This record gives sequence, structure tokens and C-alpha cells, in this order.
Amino acid sequence: MKKIFIASILSVFFGAFQVTAQDCDSIARVVETYITNDAKGKPFVSDGQVYVAFLDNEKAEFNTTLFGGSYYRLAASAGVKDDYVIFSIFDAEDNLLFTNRNHKNSPYWDFKIENTVPVRIQTELDRDKKVTGCAVLMIGFLK
Amino acid sequence: MDSLNKYLILGAVASILLMSACSGETEDGTVDNGQKVIDPELLDPNRSFNTNFDGKLFSVPSPVQTALLIRSSNLAYDESLLNSETNISNYASNTSKSLNLGIYGADLGYATLYDQNAKALSYINAVESLSNDLGIAGAFDANFLERFEANSNNQDSMLVILTEAFRKGDLFLKESDRKNSSALILTGGWLESMHFATNLYAKSKDKRIFHRIGEQKQSLETILEILKEYNVDGVNDEILAQLGGLNELFQTVEISNEFVEPVTDESKKLTTIKNKSTMIMSAELEESIRAKVAEIRAAIVGQSVEG
Repeated sequence: MKKIFIASILSVFFGAFQVTAQDCDSIARVVETYITNDAKGKPFVSDGQVYVAFLDNEKAEFNTTLFGGSYYRLAASAGVKDDYVIFSIFDAEDNLLFTNRNHKNSPYWDFKIENTVPVRIQTELDRDKKVTGCAVLMIGFLK
Repeated sequence: MDSLNKYLILGAVASILLMSACSGETEDGTVDNGQKVIDPELLDPNRSFNTNFDGKLFSVPSPVQTALLIRSSNLAYDESLLNSETNISNYASNTSKSLNLGIYGADLGYATLYDQNAKALSYINAVESLSNDLGIAGAFDANFLERFEANSNNQDSMLVILTEAFRKGDLFLKESDRKNSSALILTGGWLESMHFATNLYAKSKDKRIFHRIGEQKQSLETILEILKEYNVDGVNDEILAQLGGLNELFQTVEISNEFVEPVTDESKKLTTIKNKSTMIMSAELEESIRAKVAEIRAAIVGQSVEG
């Protein structure tokens, strides 16, 4: 009998992770809709990567380099509403360069980079709006 | 029978609790009357389920960005830089296939930027073949091929379609917990972009390309970090050793940044990052980096190093 109990727990546990992967997949489709064209109709080219994190209390972050002379778009989502994710950009000395928290958690923002800058990009959930779930961020750049 | 019922009921209750704790979409903490109701357990910072889906996040700049810089420098198309499609039969291991999928992807991007459509389509076959072998055929399926071919007179669309396919493959690999393949594809793409940049700098002495080479210092550090993270059973030992030698050279590249207040235009949803940066790398060091990149790439694609 204990086996039945354990099996039901395990099946739902792994089932829950499957649901999570499906959630991430559907959220990625939402984010894709933001990496489209700039205001002048020029298309953003994807960097070919999807930044996925299952968040609750933690923040997910990664380092990257934004190249001088480039024009980027960052977009993020964690569900059906546009404003669940806060994303912030810091330089190598931890100076805050941008956070969408100051712009009503806008799901996307564009960046013109004058000189190459190594940055840390941090994502977290706005815990007033969502406390746990999959967050997806994507980066595009103009040709 | 009572005992069976007891376990089934207990299992069902536990299952419901687990479902409600793990499902992201139902956890926005909002009820119909607009009040926030948050399970205190979810707010406990010591809770055991506080982990990233992906463990860690990494980012490697797209090889297409370097190809764009090269294209904007008006340098002539150089087919000799590309990895021959005929080499594909040499790639047997998943490591080799993943690395070379990244390399062919970068070659495809380079050929596309130079409007070499016939060449690009032949590289599509190589990319399709390796992605099939790696189980990510869904990213480069018939729909992708159809769209890519249908837009063969529209470079922007071709690039968008190509990079979307790589993004789709990346998501599939991450969701199916094959992050090492994803890391190796990114590594191959990055290395090929370094191969383009170092060779074309040698011909052109274009300062922008020189700077782009030096600016790859952090990207290489990230690549080493990813490959170490997913180095199960030592599958990445060889490439780690090779790239470690390259990283030693990069350690003498000096990069500094100075914070300058960014400027934001709220109406355009645009922020201009104005930090100043300097990169110092000697010409001799760039030559050493070029030689090392050539050596590593040759080992991966299976060619002898010229010169």
C-alpha cells in the first residue's frame, strides 16, 4: 500500500515538473511576440537563446556583453499578464543601468549601446503580483 | 480495504497539495475579489523548492552579431573560412555534432548576410542533418525550410527565421534537460565567430574587429563556466582544456568600464547605455589568440591548421 502512496506522490511530482515545462513553453511563446520589430518596423534578430528560470524567492541572473553600436530589445514574461517580471541590468561595478520596475514592469524595453559594456541581467518576479512560476527572458538585436 | 482507501486518500490529498505548490500559472496569489492570498509556505525563504528551473543561467553573444560587424566593414565574402559541408560525415559523437551544429549555424548566418543563398541552402542541409541526429529536428523542420526558402530574397527575414530556429532548439534542449548540448552548440557558434573575426582582422586590420575580438573576454569566461557546469563524466574535458589555453591568453586583455548615467526616453521605451569602455590588447596577443582559435577549431571540424 505504501508503494501506491509513493507512486502517486512521485507521478504527480514529476507531472508537476512536466506542467512547469509546458508553462515555460507557453510563456516563451508570449515573449516571442515581443521580439518582433522596432518602432521603424525593422525586425529584431534573436540571439538564439531562451533564458528560463523557475522563480519564487530567488532572483535569476546571468552575465553577458552588450556590444557598442548595437540596439537590443529585452523581453520577459511569467504568465498571461504583462507585468509579472522585473528585469534589471547592472554594469560590472554593480551600477544599476536599467530596471523595468521604474516603468510599470514593462514586458519589453529597447537599449541603444554606445560602447561595449559587460553587464549582469537579473530577473525576479514582482511578488505583489505573482509569487512563484516560470519566467522567460529573451534578447534580440537589430541588424 | 480500509488501509487501501486510507493510502489512496492520503496520496490524493498530497498530490493536490503538490500540484498547487508547483504549478506556476495558478500561483499568482490573486482571488476573484482582487485580494492577494499568498500561502505563507511560499513566502518562506528557507523552503526547499527555491531553485531555478535551469540551475544557472548563461548567455553567449550571438555569432550573427560578429558576422554583422564584419559585413558592415565591407569585407569581401570569403568562402574558404567556412567549414565544408562534406566534413559532416566525420562527426560521430554528440559532443562533436553539437559543436559543429554551432559552427555550421554561424557559417549559415555568415553566408546569409552576404546573400550567398545557394551556399546558405546547402548549409541548411548540414544543420538539418545534425539537428536530426541530436533530436532537435523540430527546430529545423519542414516549416522552417519552407519559410527560409520562401524568403530567400529577403535577408532580414532569413536571419530572423534562422535565429528563431536556433532559439527553438535551445529551449527544447533546456526543457529536456540536455543543457550540455545547448552549451556546446553555443560554444561552436562562438568559436566560429572568433574564427571569422581573427582571420578577417588579419586581412583588413579593421580596428572595430580588433576591439570585438578583445571584447570576447567575458564571453569565453561564460562558455568555460557553462561547460564546467554540465561536464558530466568528463565529456567536456577536451574542449575545456583547449578553451582553457585560450582563456589564459585572454586574461592579459585589459578591459575597463566607467559608469555614465544612462538616458531613458519613456515614450519610446528606450534607454541609451552610455558607459565608457576601454579595451587594451597588443597586436602580438591578438596573433596568439588567432593561432589558438585556429588550433581549437581545426580539432573540432577535423581539418589541419594552415600556416
